[in-house]
Amino acid sequence: MSPTEIHQLNFGPITAHAFNKDRTQVAVCPNNNEVQIYTKAGKGWNLIHTLAEHDKLVTGIDWAPESNRLVTSSQDRNTYVWNFDTETNEWKPTLVLLRINRAATFVRWSPHENKFAVASGARVIAVCYFDEEHNWWTSKHLKKPIRSTVLSLDWHPNNVLLAAGSADFKARVFSAFIKGVDQKPPPTAWGDKLPFNTICGEFSNGSGGWIHCVAFSPSGDALAFSGHDSVISIAYPGGAIQSVGLTSLPYLSLIWTSEKNIIAAGYDFTPVLFENTNEGW
Amino acid sequence: MSFRSFDIDSLDEDILAQDELFVFSNGVEITPENASKHVKTKGIEVRNQLTRGDTANALITAIESPPYGVHTIDAKDQNTKIVMDVLNSIKATDIPSLVKLLSREQQDILMKYIYRGMSSPDLYNSTVLLNWHEKLTEVAGVGCIVRVITDRKTV
Repeated sequence: MSPTEIHQLNFGPITAHAFNKDRTQVAVCPNNNEVQIYTKAGKGWNLIHTLAEHDKLVTGIDWAPESNRLVTSSQDRNTYVWNFDTETNEWKPTLVLLRINRAATFVRWSPHENKFAVASGARVIAVCYFDEEHNWWTSKHLKKPIRSTVLSLDWHPNNVLLAAGSADFKARVFSAFIKGVDQKPPPTAWGDKLPFNTICGEFSNGSGGWIHCVAFSPSGDALAFSGHDSVISIAYPGGAIQSVGLTSLPYLSLIWTSEKNIIAAGYDFTPVLFENTNEGW
Repeated sequence: MSFRSFDIDSLDEDILAQDELFVFSNGVEITPENASKHVKTKGIEVRNQLTRGDTANALITAIESPPYGVHTIDAKDQNTKIVMDVLNSIKATDIPSLVKLLSREQQDILMKYIYRGMSSPDLYNSTVLLNWHEKLTEVAGVGCIVRVITDRKTV
């Protein structure tokens, strides 16, 4: 295990962050409308760019590792895709047409980096893709049956399925298949016919609590989600679900390190490792 | 300031109602009458167990299958009274061993009743409840409290 490095970038909270592919740069939002990019310099980190295009708090940042593009979402209801211009050494923003009337809450690139999904308080998920014909980013909405703000998203490795956790206490798996952008995906455990907005799964842990985080396993055959009721649940296609009640405070973030291990982090300051023994989680 | 009394949610046709968030364990809502009947038989059983001195089972019977629902207010009141009677009749020194006997789900339900009891201090003895709360938190952790506060299935 490598030692933890601690760097103080600013004195306020960090609302969102993303690393680039080789982790030499990090984009963070220091709890305002700006995105700051730091680059690693020896033992410390230096501020090299400040991206100030949003009007309100930035809620989500994601860095596409291969195409080296940033996408940022904000409470100002907008999302920008940022391209790095090597000639001028600047990040150039492109506005995305989201058509939402509430704050954007979360954003994630798809694994192939040709689409991204934006969660919002308008009870929709905007699935965005590049429209070659008009030369802009445009979006399609995943609407039903979301009943409240969407708080988190995660893409299935096949670039088509999208998981969403929402404030209506449910985690769902949608198809975000865009004709013309996606190849027809091979059948998965979640279904084989997947037109846009197919609901492949809807899960609740029974008692409720906002869903703070959703995460597909590396193979995409299992979905973990954590709620504000201090329960993390692992759901499988077809509806099987296993919930682990915790003695600690709720978790906000989950990362699968393998098919049998999940790292969870949340309100009690310490990341925790969950393991699937043969009897269960 | 009369605008403050407007119910602006009623103007939104896409409003999310309380009962839409409610998940029933087997998908159907229990009627208030059935819930009350169920609680009444439960009360008799609990009293028998208490007279026999079987406090552990009395506690489990009392908190098991609570009358969850949006309209089962009477049954909830009755069930709370039964649980409070059990909690009051158990000696303070027995509490730690009893809460350890409970499953995680039972601990969560017991915590719900402790909070329910503390919400009406004129009816139930808060000193006893605080003692239960302390002992239960030692075993079940703060996660138990968070679950009780977020859960829409109130008792």
